Amino acid sequence: MLKVENLDVEIAGVDVLRRVSFTLTAGAVTVLVGRNGAGKTTTLRAIMGLLPWKGGRVEVDGTELGGLPGNARAGIGLGYAPEDRRLIPDLSVEENILVPGLARKMPAPELKQRLDEVYDLLPQLGTLRARPAGGVSGGQGKIVALGRALMIADKVLMLDEPFQGLAPALALDYARTLQRCHEQKRDIAILVTESTPKLLDAIASDTLLLERGEIVRAEP
Amino acid sequence: MLQTVAPLLMDALANAALIFFVAFGLTLTFSVLRILNVAHGSFYSIGAYVAASAGLFIVGAGLNPWLTYPSLILSAAAVAALFGPLVEKTLVRWTYGRGEAVQILMTFGLFLILEDLQRMVFGVNSLYEDTPMALLGITEIGGVVYLNYQILLIALAALTLVGLRIFIRHTRTGRLLHVVVADREVSEAMGIDTGRMFTLAFTLGVFLAALGGALATPTTGVAPGLGAETMVLAFAVAAIGGLGQVEGAALAAVIVAAARVLAIYFAPELDAVAPYLVMLVVLLVRPYGLFGKAAVRRI
Repeated sequence: MLKVENLDVEIAGVDVLRRVSFTLTAGAVTVLVGRNGAGKTTTLRAIMGLLPWKGGRVEVDGTELGGLPGNARAGIGLGYAPEDRRLIPDLSVEENILVPGLARKMPAPELKQRLDEVYDLLPQLGTLRARPAGGVSGGQGKIVALGRALMIADKVLMLDEPFQGLAPALALDYARTLQRCHEQKRDIAILVTESTPKLLDAIASDTLLLERGEIVRAEP
Repeated sequence: MLQTVAPLLMDALANAALIFFVAFGLTLTFSVLRILNVAHGSFYSIGAYVAASAGLFIVGAGLNPWLTYPSLILSAAAVAALFGPLVEKTLVRWTYGRGEAVQILMTFGLFLILEDLQRMVFGVNSLYEDTPMALLGITEIGGVVYLNYQILLIALAALTLVGLRIFIRHTRTGRLLHVVVADREVSEAMGIDTGRMFTLAFTLGVFLAALGGALATPTTGVAPGLGAETMVLAFAVAAIGGLGQVEGAALAAVIVAAARVLAIYFAPELDAVAPYLVMLVVLLVRPYGLFGKAAVRRI
């Protein structure tokens, strides 16, 4: 589904990623594990085209991403939930979730159908939909960011440190939600970054260990 | 009492209407592109020159004088279509990520070029074309004479204010523009073509400035130096209202225009400084402007 080959990324003259290679397959959950500063967020941001690459290639179902602008990823079917949620505070939860659909110029029936699907997968959002996104808690915000990514994640869903800062009960709830997404959306590949992978043991198909910008171990 | 206050109020509101167009254009460009366009005032004066020239042509050719009305709007649209995409895609785009000093220098350079360009094309004499104002005539209420054209200006500004609100809140493009203002990177990740949004917002900003200039010609005419004068005024209004605020720009335009009109009537020597005195007081009390917020920028 998504193939990363020898990805090199440099930030301000420092090599942050060195020859990172891995493959994501549909129906699998891949966990990218590493300490803070290992390059997990950078890997996701580079795939999303938010950072320039020094070298390497990334392709999704044969489409090379290298020459494309950052905003083309969403159209290809890459859904991304950034580490710090990054919701638009003065739009409602539902309006936030709709943004990628609007950007893709989805016709109203498709927009509605996809929104319903998101609410099905994430029933926690039902009571929040009209609330301003600036007024939801950190844990709820993570679910909203997940919903927004699911709106367009036809091929790949990438979640950056979704458990960070969540209270244990909320983290467990998030893990269950993720499991549900995994079970019901078998046609997409899921990539999750995490510094403590315990919560994902049950659903992780592959684990990649990232250390100082290099993949040092890959376990199926 | 009414005989003194009413015309004063009308002058102030009509003046505010013109300032609102240009100040909102400035504030829109700033919110979306995060660039303070020093050349913004030039688009106002270019709009004024083009509209005045078009009006003089229509009258000189003996065409229906009512054609001067669509020509005011079309002049502004032509200026926006010519300069908006061109300037944003070449000069402005080049400054993204290069720091504020570069942006100010670039737009200041552009301002100087545009000022000389106007002298080359339109000459150094002032142009005056008041057919649209003359066509509408006057209204007399209670012994006070009002210019109907001024009433039209106020209505147009109010309509524009409401229209822009609806555009930003309730249209697809407006919503995406709002998201770009709030978070550029997320916009890209969610599939919004931010480059297109920048061109669109810049062009809309140029259009609003040029429209202000075009609508001003029937009452004030146009002369060299108008661009610089307008620019400083638009800065004051945008700062008072809070950069990026539609309602803020509208209220600030009214306050500044009222200050100017009061100064002209009661202390003419203070005319030029009145807007800045107001700005000084407002910014001392509210450093981010009346509607401004410290961290959040929006349209």
